[in-house]
Amino acid sequence: MKFTIDWLNEYVNTDGITSAQLADHLTMLGLEVDAVTELFQELAPIQTALVLSVERHPDADSLSLCQVAVGAETLQIVCGAPNVRPGLTTAIALPGTTLPGGVKIKKSKVRGIESYGMLCSERELGLGSGHGGIMELPADTPHGQSFIHVLGLSDTLVEVDLTPNRSDCASVIGIAREIAGILRRPLTLPVESAAIQASCATFSVDIESSELCPRYGARLITGVTIAPSPWWLRKRLLSIGLRPINNVVDITNLVMMEYGQPLHAFDFHKLVGKKIIVRYPRMDELDFTTLDGVARKLDADMLMICDGVQPVAIAGVMGGMNSEVSDTTTAILLESACFDPISIRKTARKLNLSSESSYRFERGVDPGGCLLAMERAVRLLCEVAGGTAEPGGVDKYYGQKPFNTLTLRISRTSELLGVPLDYEKIADALTSIGFRCKEKDADTLWVGAPSFRVDIEREIDLVEEVARLIGYNTIPTTLPTVQLSYPEQDTNRIIRAKIGTLLAGIGYFEAINYSFTSEKHLQWLGLAEGDPRCHFVRLVNPLSEDQSVMRTMLLPGLLENVERNINFQKTAIKIFETGKVFTPKGDNEQPLERMRLAGVLSGNRFGESSPYHCKQQTVDILDAKGAMEYLLQGLRLLEEGMASPLRFTLSVQDQIEPFADPLQVLAVSAGDQELGIIARILPAILRKFGIKQDVFFFDLDLDALCQLAPVAKNFTVLPVFPAVNRDIAMLVPETVAAGALVDAVLQAQDPLIEQCEIFDVYQGDSVKSGFKSVALSVTYRSSQKTLTEKNVEKVHTKIVNMLGSKFEGTLREG
Amino acid sequence: MEQKLLSLQDEAGKNLDQLVDAGQLEDFRIRYLGRKGQFSTIMRELGAVAPEERPRVGQLANSIKEEIEKLFEEKKALFGGSAQSGSKGANLIDLSLPGRYPERGRLHPVTQIMNEVCAIFEAMGFSVAEGPDVEHDHYNFEALNIPAHHPARDMHDTFYVSDSILLRTHTSPMQARIMESQQPPLRVIAPGKVYRCDSDITHTPMFHQVEGFLVDTKVSFADLKGILTVFTQKMFDKDLPLRFRPSFFPFTEPSAEVDIACVICGGSGCRVCKQTGWLEILGAGMIDPEVFKMVGYDPEVYSGFAFGLGIERIAMLKYGINDIRLYYENDLRFLAQF
Repeated sequence: MKFTIDWLNEYVNTDGITSAQLADHLTMLGLEVDAVTELFQELAPIQTALVLSVERHPDADSLSLCQVAVGAETLQIVCGAPNVRPGLTTAIALPGTTLPGGVKIKKSKVRGIESYGMLCSERELGLGSGHGGIMELPADTPHGQSFIHVLGLSDTLVEVDLTPNRSDCASVIGIAREIAGILRRPLTLPVESAAIQASCATFSVDIESSELCPRYGARLITGVTIAPSPWWLRKRLLSIGLRPINNVVDITNLVMMEYGQPLHAFDFHKLVGKKIIVRYPRMDELDFTTLDGVARKLDADMLMICDGVQPVAIAGVMGGMNSEVSDTTTAILLESACFDPISIRKTARKLNLSSESSYRFERGVDPGGCLLAMERAVRLLCEVAGGTAEPGGVDKYYGQKPFNTLTLRISRTSELLGVPLDYEKIADALTSIGFRCKEKDADTLWVGAPSFRVDIEREIDLVEEVARLIGYNTIPTTLPTVQLSYPEQDTNRIIRAKIGTLLAGIGYFEAINYSFTSEKHLQWLGLAEGDPRCHFVRLVNPLSEDQSVMRTMLLPGLLENVERNINFQKTAIKIFETGKVFTPKGDNEQPLERMRLAGVLSGNRFGESSPYHCKQQTVDILDAKGAMEYLLQGLRLLEEGMASPLRFTLSVQDQIEPFADPLQVLAVSAGDQELGIIARILPAILRKFGIKQDVFFFDLDLDALCQLAPVAKNFTVLPVFPAVNRDIAMLVPETVAAGALVDAVLQAQDPLIEQCEIFDVYQGDSVKSGFKSVALSVTYRSSQKTLTEKNVEKVHTKIVNMLGSKFEGTLREG
Repeated sequence: MEQKLLSLQDEAGKNLDQLVDAGQLEDFRIRYLGRKGQFSTIMRELGAVAPEERPRVGQLANSIKEEIEKLFEEKKALFGGSAQSGSKGANLIDLSLPGRYPERGRLHPVTQIMNEVCAIFEAMGFSVAEGPDVEHDHYNFEALNIPAHHPARDMHDTFYVSDSILLRTHTSPMQARIMESQQPPLRVIAPGKVYRCDSDITHTPMFHQVEGFLVDTKVSFADLKGILTVFTQKMFDKDLPLRFRPSFFPFTEPSAEVDIACVICGGSGCRVCKQTGWLEILGAGMIDPEVFKMVGYDPEVYSGFAFGLGIERIAMLKYGINDIRLYYENDLRFLAQF
């Protein structure tokens, strides 16, 4: 909602209140001021000028050479306007001025003759479309004065961001009422009351769908002359950004902005049968051209204003081309009606056509105010457009509601707001903006809400009004008194937080990607058509194809992040995300939402660390595995020994993801349940995402992970006797997994074996081809005594022999 | 030779006193104690000493060497033990070299702010609940007193999955979900992702909110002001001015918007606060009786307040982030800043 302070002053005197104070009052009343702008500032340098003499330019027939008085100065100006003549007062832009269109005026030579400025047309000043010549100001206008000052253009525009409940403030009078209330100053209305005396015989109105049209008022004005509006009227519309059209249309717009009541003017002679019928369109009437020139396709349930034969307007939204007021119009049928908000909203939505009129009807127009606004417009049409109002008119009023008197409890209001109130305070606040209050009993008020406050229906609405009017800042700040209770903890959320901390601790950055994605990404991953992850929750109205389905995997988003970072020369990448994936269940059913954890790693292993300390090495699958080991150990889900809830296993061939390298993939499983995988992504897949460097990833079902019971913390007595370390270097066939050797050592379950670790795996010159050397470090310890060389040797030999026979290995010679 | 040794001892002692840094100490070591140092040079003369004198002179030489070495070690300890054998300065530790530490990742700024917000409310006894992103029209709108075709739906550019299923446009559905299944007193916050079909420099189609509400007997608007004042002061600055002003939400009445003094300009007016000096950070209000009725609470018995805030906006204000889209590009140069 836009208005100017000059306009506001027509209804309430704001003397002594600055525009900033005014804006603050409105904002604190719940009418949030978005912007306060000084209007026409770009016209500040423009001055008034009097043309003294006009001669023809010696070298150009179409140009005039003028002597122009601007205050004490007389300037020579070359002008091309046809209407320039001695004695004309007009607007001048002197050198150095920039016009609203961006043109900068300079002292220049026009066909060899010096010109010291430019005489301006309306269009050049951004004040209208008239470009027939330079502006013609009233003859008594002094010259050498500020143009905006002389025309009374100095004004301040205020823009209010209206909440949907305050339709009454979609009008300058509505705003003025709030200001008058807070300042306790009187409100002056141009028309205080109006009624239609008798019906008009010249035309008839028939409402077929009265449930959608609670009130329809109409009057006939004859003898109007269509012309541009007078300056004061155009100024009002221009100042709030509306384009002046002609006097009749401008008056309907002005009164709509003033009273908040949309009006429509039909060219009466274009209404066949001199009648108005409010009805639904017939099936053969569904093509309709609105007055913006757009041919529209109607729906059968859109309420239309029709004449004797056809629709002439879309009720409450926009008039039709066929009944539009034109230059030749002489008689006006003025409509001031009220339509059902939902019906208007549906129509405007379906046609994707929103107007100042539909905006107001959707939010609720007071049926009680139709005649007031109509009376105001009729008076202006007579005054400004020279019309004569036919006596009488039509007022079909179906939706008159019984006067709504509410009760308001003082104790309830005080309790809810947390501030002590009494009758005086409440009544003083409410009456300041037109409510009527009466004492019912010691604790209760009768409150009558004015009809324009269509939002006031319940006691709580009045409580809010009281709070708003006494000011939220007068309500104290207290803390609630509540019973102590322990806030429930969501364990999944706690685990998620732990995961974030753990992964960030080893160099992973958390990413958050959109929950919607592109279908093509899953095709790029090569998922088979039957894959459940190709079954999407699809948005009906996506912003773009790239965001049209809810994600079923986190990986594609992360790969997009990898590509983006590489493009910005950040090639060492470790990122993770925890987020939901969505699986559809059925139409009109909520999908299954599962939380997953995924991460990708690529490029230099020690991206963040100083290259002085760390060799430039790229990550490999073991970095991905290690990150998971670190994480799952941190969550106490991966422990040595049989108690571990989770295991890493090699993936079974037919279960391998199509985008994973079959030679570098590990499954993470808990019992029979596979919870996720760790793998290298195939380069061919990466290329589709625009990535040329190796990328590894991990992806886990986080909800399932959260269900696992972590290994309990159990104290083991610290060893008393020293340990003995022995190393073994075994030559085994290269197909043997080094981990299998460790497993074999541990599975021997000799009580003296405490630990077994791989410390080197080597293939090269000194190892015969087809074999590798696996070096193990075995820790022996007894809980009973200090081990002797002999004790250890006995077990160690057994282990070496076992490994030798089990893996066709031989002890590698020094 | 004896004289030479004694004067060497004397000279070395004086010399050592004048040393000021580890480099000079190393020079000293080479000059006196090195293989080609003065002590070694003198010791070569031991062969020329009469055989019967040799044990005594040798003993003296040893004790002098020990003495010099002892003084050297003391001096070395004084310099932080950094003088070592080798050529000049070669093995001195250059402390300007980078420290050695494991690489560090970061949580997303949205997560960091979310955690901060939740922690403040958890400390005041609020529990945390999460709900579905894909929601029923009923919980997102109807149960919050926003019937179909209500103009308030204009405030929510909604993504639809079907006629009755949508992406939640706010975290407020959790109010209805929790109140439906639990009885007061309630103190709950509900963080999560929300969606609106809007995308420009100040809007992303997905963002994060935290919803919170408290329901009990005799909860007042003054209490709402109290809790949100505590929150704002903890989140921002204890002395930051804040104001509550009337607003409209269909599921609260009276409704309020909470502004803090602009953290960029301090309240004098700038581009970020649109010259108002204030920044909106929270929407709140007393829970509307209609909402209570729909979940079967008696509004005459219970009252409560609800509030909602946007995480991205708070992060933008706290960290000075100027483009909301940066949150979802996951550019490491961005993520590494928080």
